[in-house]
Amino acid sequence: MNYEFDWSLLLEEPNWSWVIEGIANTIQLSLVAWGCALVLGVLIGAIRMSKSRTLRFIGTTYVEIFRNIPLLVQLFLWFFVFPLLLPDDLMRAWNRLDGVPFLTALIGLSLFTAARIAEQIRSGISSIPKGQFLAAYSTGLTEVQTFRHVIIPYAFRVMIPAIASEFLTIFKNSALTLTIGVAEVTGAAKTIEAYTFRGIEAYSAASLTYMLTTASVVIFMGWLEHALRIPGLIGKR
Amino acid sequence: MDFSVINDNIEFLMLGLMRSFQLAIFTIVLSLTIACFIAIGRVSSKRSIRYPSAIFVNLLRSNPLILIVFWFFFLVPLITGKTLPEFHTVLIAFVVFFAAYFAEIVRSGIQSVGSSQVKAALSTGLTYSQSMRLIVLPQALRNMLPALVTECVIVFQGTTIAYVIGMREFLHSTSLVAERTVRPVELYLFAALVYLVICFTGTRLALFLEKNKELAR
Amino acid sequence: MTLPLVQINNLSLRYGNFVALDDISIDFMPGTCVVICGPSGSGKSSLLRCVNRLEDFGTGDVIFDGQSLKSAHNISKIRSNIGMVFQHFELYPHLSVMNNITLAPRYVNGINRDEAEAKAHKLLERVGILDQANKYPDELSGGQQQRAAIARALALEPKLMLFDEPTSALDPEMISEVLQVMRDLARNGMTMLVVTHEMGFARDVADEVVFMDKGKVIERNASGNFFDNPQSDRAKEFIDRVLQKI
Repeated sequence: MNYEFDWSLLLEEPNWSWVIEGIANTIQLSLVAWGCALVLGVLIGAIRMSKSRTLRFIGTTYVEIFRNIPLLVQLFLWFFVFPLLLPDDLMRAWNRLDGVPFLTALIGLSLFTAARIAEQIRSGISSIPKGQFLAAYSTGLTEVQTFRHVIIPYAFRVMIPAIASEFLTIFKNSALTLTIGVAEVTGAAKTIEAYTFRGIEAYSAASLTYMLTTASVVIFMGWLEHALRIPGLIGKR
Repeated sequence: MDFSVINDNIEFLMLGLMRSFQLAIFTIVLSLTIACFIAIGRVSSKRSIRYPSAIFVNLLRSNPLILIVFWFFFLVPLITGKTLPEFHTVLIAFVVFFAAYFAEIVRSGIQSVGSSQVKAALSTGLTYSQSMRLIVLPQALRNMLPALVTECVIVFQGTTIAYVIGMREFLHSTSLVAERTVRPVELYLFAALVYLVICFTGTRLALFLEKNKELAR
Repeated sequence: MTLPLVQINNLSLRYGNFVALDDISIDFMPGTCVVICGPSGSGKSSLLRCVNRLEDFGTGDVIFDGQSLKSAHNISKIRSNIGMVFQHFELYPHLSVMNNITLAPRYVNGINRDEAEAKAHKLLERVGILDQANKYPDELSGGQQQRAAIARALALEPKLMLFDEPTSALDPEMISEVLQVMRDLARNGMTMLVVTHEMGFARDVADEVVFMDKGKVIERNASGNFFDNPQSDRAKEFIDRVLQKI
């Protein structure tokens, strides 16, 4: 192996701006998409547990479609196909928007991740012992009260790790949006490598971004889990 | 919409799909094999084995697959001094990446068996490696089968990432035909449907295995 | 003069700051059945697990049949001469009862399958569950599982049997069928170390009782004497408490 390291090139322009912009885009995209996915995911999770058969079917269909089509294909559908299916004037308006790649990425990531979160919520709630429901009903709580006061506080704690790991998933998945032209951090690293042939430095910058974020989220979640733990349920040591 | 464009190019598209399957199957077999060793390393009582395995797993799991693929496309020629066929390079990257994920599944499978089973096996005079092979891994496999199948679906979905470096797997074939025929709507919808059918089958299988764990004896 | 089968010399074991075994020295003669009792956390199960080195002991040594366990190169071979029965049976759930029993003879002693099965057949007959041979552990009752586990331990013709609270996880009506098997073993001269709360078994079957507390051996006595005339106050207290419970 014959390779001369030159870490300082990361500090040179335009590389430095690319990296910073990439990190900013990655974080912004992941956070917003995670928020949207969380709201939509909880909604779909709730729909899937409703008494209405039709609603349950809609929820399940959503989850199966969005988690069984690869994210990259979904991004392509939103980027290449979706505008073509719009009425002509809407399509023109869409194409004239600023930051279409970012918007497309946001839609694609949110809808994909919402399906995963909905699934987590369903399995979180079904992990709750039946006795909890029975006990709550037996004291006269209504179904809504039971969910509000007993099931959701319980399930939320059980699901904290899953929800946190979904953030990390979306964070890593956001790298795929480079294919539709979002200038996120992996894309920035690839660009620097293409211009300078300094792959190790460029990709290290990107890897470091992901690893530091992962580490911080893991530490924060460990703390949160500890703070909210229910004795004997989770966070047992 | 005119779906005859699919029919006209079906052979080319199916060739791509075969390539996707090939990549997925090679990845699964190789990475699962490596993962078994890493998982045993993860539960080892020796720090000199446990720490490196943990670092390997966490390093890869905190990076996106696409970035790992870029890393290997840069590093493999640098290290070997020659350019390997892209299929091989992608395969290496995939195997390393998914070995980390499979290792975590195997590890939790091993831990689901419980240390008393190891003690019981050791007490009858089996060696540690015999205990792992004959007692722990078969039970672990049964417990983790649903998770393994789910991960296989994720590997298959992951093969689309080979598109990025221009390997002619199914998504890339689709995009080539879409560009040539200028019929992106039909082609991408078709690709989505194919992926949906294959992955849906996989996730249903995982669900079935989960519900019938006892059957997999 | 007969030599002890098990010789424990200055054995200590700690988990972090917790001292599980505190400088224990004790011998066990071949052909005897010894019950080890004491309050929970007294170290009796740890002591048992040290006898086949399932626990890595800190200082001291265990000599089994003239061999030092600490310096043993082939610990598996030694373990195959020591049978062990666990509180929660620890049968392998993925193997039939028959395969649970034949596994170690085949893989440790290299006996072929037919021979191993013929021997397992005899053992299952001896513990009274021959009709369950082809079932899986989950399909057996607790008492049957524990008897299968005893058969598994006996399959290697051990010189010593270790019982770690063999009846604690059983429903009361199943305890006696397991104790019966153990009683037969003792009668046939098997050397046995039994950690148990079954004071009836200790009184009627055991030759000796060892009483432990806080990682130390407090008292060792012939079983009749132990119950009628315990030497230490702590043993007296313990006996009162345990006998009261029944």
